[in-house]
Amino acid sequence: MSKGDSNPAAVPHAAEDTQGDDRWMSQHNRFVLDCKDKEPDVLFVGDSMVQLLQQYEIWRELFSPLHALNFGIGGDTTAHVLWRLKNGELENIKPKVIVVWVGTNNHENTAEEVAGGIEAIVRLINTRQPQAKVIVLSLLPRGEKPNPLRQKNAKVNQLLKASLPKLASVQLLDVSGGFVHSDGAISCHDMFDFLHLTGGGYAKICKALHELIMQLLEETPEEKQAALA
Amino acid sequence: MSDGDKNPASTPTPLADVQGDGRWLALHHRFIADSKDKEPEVVFIGDALVQLLQQFEIWRELFSPLHALNFGLGGDGTQHVLWRLQQGEMQHIRPKIVVVWVGTNNHGHTAEQVAGGIEAIVRLLQQQQPQARVVVLGLLPRGQGPNPLRERNRQVNELLQARLPRLPNTCFLDADPGFVHSDGAISHHDMYDYLHLSRHGYARLCPRLHALLLRLLGECQGAGP
Repeated sequence: MSKGDSNPAAVPHAAEDTQGDDRWMSQHNRFVLDCKDKEPDVLFVGDSMVQLLQQYEIWRELFSPLHALNFGIGGDTTAHVLWRLKNGELENIKPKVIVVWVGTNNHENTAEEVAGGIEAIVRLINTRQPQAKVIVLSLLPRGEKPNPLRQKNAKVNQLLKASLPKLASVQLLDVSGGFVHSDGAISCHDMFDFLHLTGGGYAKICKALHELIMQLLEETPEEKQAALA
Repeated sequence: MSDGDKNPASTPTPLADVQGDGRWLALHHRFIADSKDKEPEVVFIGDALVQLLQQFEIWRELFSPLHALNFGLGGDGTQHVLWRLQQGEMQHIRPKIVVVWVGTNNHGHTAEQVAGGIEAIVRLLQQQQPQARVVVLGLLPRGQGPNPLRERNRQVNELLQARLPRLPNTCFLDADPGFVHSDGAISHHDMYDYLHLSRHGYARLCPRLHALLLRLLGECQGAGP
């Protein structure tokens, strides 16, 4: 199965409880319970970029009406998301669309490893949820001024642009444009700490995301009709 | 003096840039730069619980009208807030009230140490901002079920409750509206990750703080020239 040097970003890994209140596992357990209780058409999974989205009004306006669930956990890397998806967060549900947004916290990994981790997530979803269309969101630039992490995230996006078309039922939605100004700066009005989005920042990316989700949701019945014909 | 040196929670320490994008220092400098032409009456300083508050509508409803500035930084412990203050984060402003909310991220420190760190912040503020009343907010419970951090935060609050009223112009407010249910659980409706407040959690907590601030500002006016 493995070729000798496995990619650490593609190896499922549960977060350790370093702080002492076990919050990561509590959130994971809650998501597993959600899978048993609920029937989402859309599933969002990833890090704090996903998690915080649910805290703003825009979630209620655009995504709740689509019967969406939010399985974001702040601080998560691709390895954490892989572990969660393998351990119950894809069970008992059959969403039509799954949005994946993770990778910016993979500090121990190279851009190639991060892209590989995201691809592993997509492949896992393809196996467990073959009916689901996957949207992978690009990593955003970060930091107030140009810095190595911006280059790394851009490299991840570049690699995904090349590799994702080879996988089934997945597309990359590049939402990284419009944040870096001509002077190379990112504004606090878009990212209040030069990483996490404000309400205004989310508004910039959610329009395109919402449109794509709607498009994918509408495609499904037509495909079924075509299959029946 | 020497006791303070031994307490890591009261030793001013910058946050190291382990990630590589310099965000913490950038925000610290932005707070200084942005405050150059402002005259806030209230300044909030602390960790993510302060920082995130500004992202919700409730900030605009309750605190913007009080001419408030927000110097919250996610992840900060008492030692980081101390460093920021020592490095002049409030050098351009003279608010009437400073709200301090920090301590839950002091991992590895004892309750005594955390309380000591918060007291050090209060004392530094008294030096730098002698005109200001200092309001220290109690640490909130955290985690979905009972755990050692809840116990430690509770002990910190107990220590602060006893010591802070002895300091001039300082008060302690435990603004917890009862986040822990009778079964010992905290709801994700209040804290979406069992640490950070949701909009609903802030809505439950902020009114008491707001009322206190209004009262203190009223007293400031009454005592004015």
